[in-house]
Amino acid sequence: MKLYLWPRSLATRTALVLLLGLAIVQVAGLTIHALDRMDVQRLAQARDLAVRVASFYRTIALTDPGRRPTVLADLHRGPDLTAALAGSPPDVDMPEMPTPEQRLLRVNMSMVWMGAPNLRWREMVIYGGHPWGKVVVAMRLPDGEWLNVRAKLEPLRPWHSPTFLVAFSLMTAVAAVLTLWAVRRLTAPVRLLAEAAEALGRDVNAPPLPENGPTEVAVAAVAFNTMASRIRRFVQDRTELLTAIGHDLRTPITRLKLRAEFIEDDEQRGKILADLEELEAMVSATLAFGRDSRAMETVTSIDLAELLRTILDDAGDARPDVADRLTYEGPSHLTVQARTLSLKRALVNLVTNAVTYGGAARVRLALQDDRMVVIEIEDDGPGISPAEMDRVFEPFHRGEPSRNRETGGVGLGLPIARNILRAHGGDVTLANRPAGGLRARVTLPV
Amino acid sequence: MEPTPHILVIDDDREIRDLLARFLEKQRIRVTAVRDGKEARRAWLNGHYQLVVLDLMLPGESGLDLARWLRGQSDIPIVMLTAMGEDTDRIIGLELGADDYVPKPFNPRELLARIRAVLRRAGDQADVRHDPAVRGYRFADWTLEPARRRLLNPDGVEVALTGGEYDLLLALVERANRVLTRDMLLDLLRGRQAGPFDRAIDVAVSRLRRKLEDDGRNAQLIKTVRGGGYVLAATVDRL
Repeated sequence: MKLYLWPRSLATRTALVLLLGLAIVQVAGLTIHALDRMDVQRLAQARDLAVRVASFYRTIALTDPGRRPTVLADLHRGPDLTAALAGSPPDVDMPEMPTPEQRLLRVNMSMVWMGAPNLRWREMVIYGGHPWGKVVVAMRLPDGEWLNVRAKLEPLRPWHSPTFLVAFSLMTAVAAVLTLWAVRRLTAPVRLLAEAAEALGRDVNAPPLPENGPTEVAVAAVAFNTMASRIRRFVQDRTELLTAIGHDLRTPITRLKLRAEFIEDDEQRGKILADLEELEAMVSATLAFGRDSRAMETVTSIDLAELLRTILDDAGDARPDVADRLTYEGPSHLTVQARTLSLKRALVNLVTNAVTYGGAARVRLALQDDRMVVIEIEDDGPGISPAEMDRVFEPFHRGEPSRNRETGGVGLGLPIARNILRAHGGDVTLANRPAGGLRARVTLPV
Repeated sequence: MEPTPHILVIDDDREIRDLLARFLEKQRIRVTAVRDGKEARRAWLNGHYQLVVLDLMLPGESGLDLARWLRGQSDIPIVMLTAMGEDTDRIIGLELGADDYVPKPFNPRELLARIRAVLRRAGDQADVRHDPAVRGYRFADWTLEPARRRLLNPDGVEVALTGGEYDLLLALVERANRVLTRDMLLDLLRGRQAGPFDRAIDVAVSRLRRKLEDDGRNAQLIKTVRGGGYVLAATVDRL
């Protein structure tokens, strides 16, 4: 069964369970308290009523039957008590009082001293009760006459006062707030862990988790940090391996380039040199990938607008056939703080991709919220199938097989660009344009 | 006809040494090739050279130490062979007074072009030779830093330059207020540009003017000289 209202967050779930428990305990407590209180009130009311009615009876019983109506009229009865003398119990539209309450009243009345045993009522009927808000006590005097006393019954009040309820709600609210706070505090390490895992995904060199707090949390943090350092070492080993291979390849490539110069056949020499250029480009991309994960360059100011235009100029010089499809749109100057050489490499990679696969690079630069710059690089190529979207950022992934051999590349351009931009606090995302072609969107803090 | 220049090549890989020697000799350059610092010192004392091609990564004494030693001996031009794309090596090398650097694996023809350009500069006039003590040139509030190959605007913000633009600007700055003929500029840009050189120079100059905010139609900083040439019209301070 699926609980649709069941919240997804651990903190909310825990808080909800705790608050539900708190509510149940509070309601039970309140009920017990109210029942108790009603019992006590019932007892007090019964004693009070018994004393008043019995005293009344005693006064009338002690009075000479002839003078009783006069005495009755003179007696101060209070607003909630009426009494009348009659030949029989009154005719009331109420049933007799329930037995437990009646017994309570009778016991209390019998405890009132009557002066002489023969003055005691010969018979007594009690009607009504709390549901009717009043009670009628009919007593037969020793001489046969009936004294019928009607008394108003104050409704039972389960609560002391409105302030009690206010205080109680306040208390509950404070408990609830404390619960929420405690739960948030207790589940914070889980959130922290999730954030750390996310940060690790973006940057292997993200700072470690603090290894403090409750035992379980500290143990989890230590385990996480150990895992992170293993991943870091793994990445580092791989990077060092790649760099070593790249370094070692330089000497044979240099030799081959020199040897090629001694080949008489111009066509063959040209082809060999082109192959070597491609090989060199691969090695140099591999080296760049290894180097960027270390990011040792210092941050300086650079005119990003001019940098983009320079990159486009270079691209146009290298490919005069597409030069008129390399455009820049945006401010003429825009200063950002960046690791200049890395940033240039990242942007060159993106522009080169656009030119190589899309035959164009339309670059737009804009400032967003004074804090971020957005660079959009559009091309006229076939775009990327949705399935490939995520994979193109994986190192050594080389797009669709149909298009990569011709255009070369080693599958590091985008990973390098993304590493660099993320190290700058920015990012790069790709999207197919509705009109066709690909759009790379770069964000970068100013 | 120019006299055959004599070059000292220092590289620890025998094959590269031999191939480079053969290649350069085919281009009418005399080469003495040695494998390390010890041999280089011996060769230095026994010969007279116009230029040194020096690999930064040498066994034993490092290329940087050797460059420092060579600089102590004379102001012979040095072309460094650096690890590919290692910008820090490049910066250190240029600060130590290398006249140019070529990343390994190098294109032999590009190396040849650089060697020729450096030799021509060396043969130019002594006072415009690359001066290793210069950390930067300041002209009209702009700063050009040869060690980092970068241009800073009056606010200290880096303004990107292409390789060709940088070479062109450095040539203009080093020879401020002197006309650079198209031929000289062609030499500088050779090996860098794919397109026709003539146009490349005009394009590079117009881009430089844009970057220096020097209005193209009324250029004050880089002036066009009638008859084919350019001049940087500014006082240049060496930093």
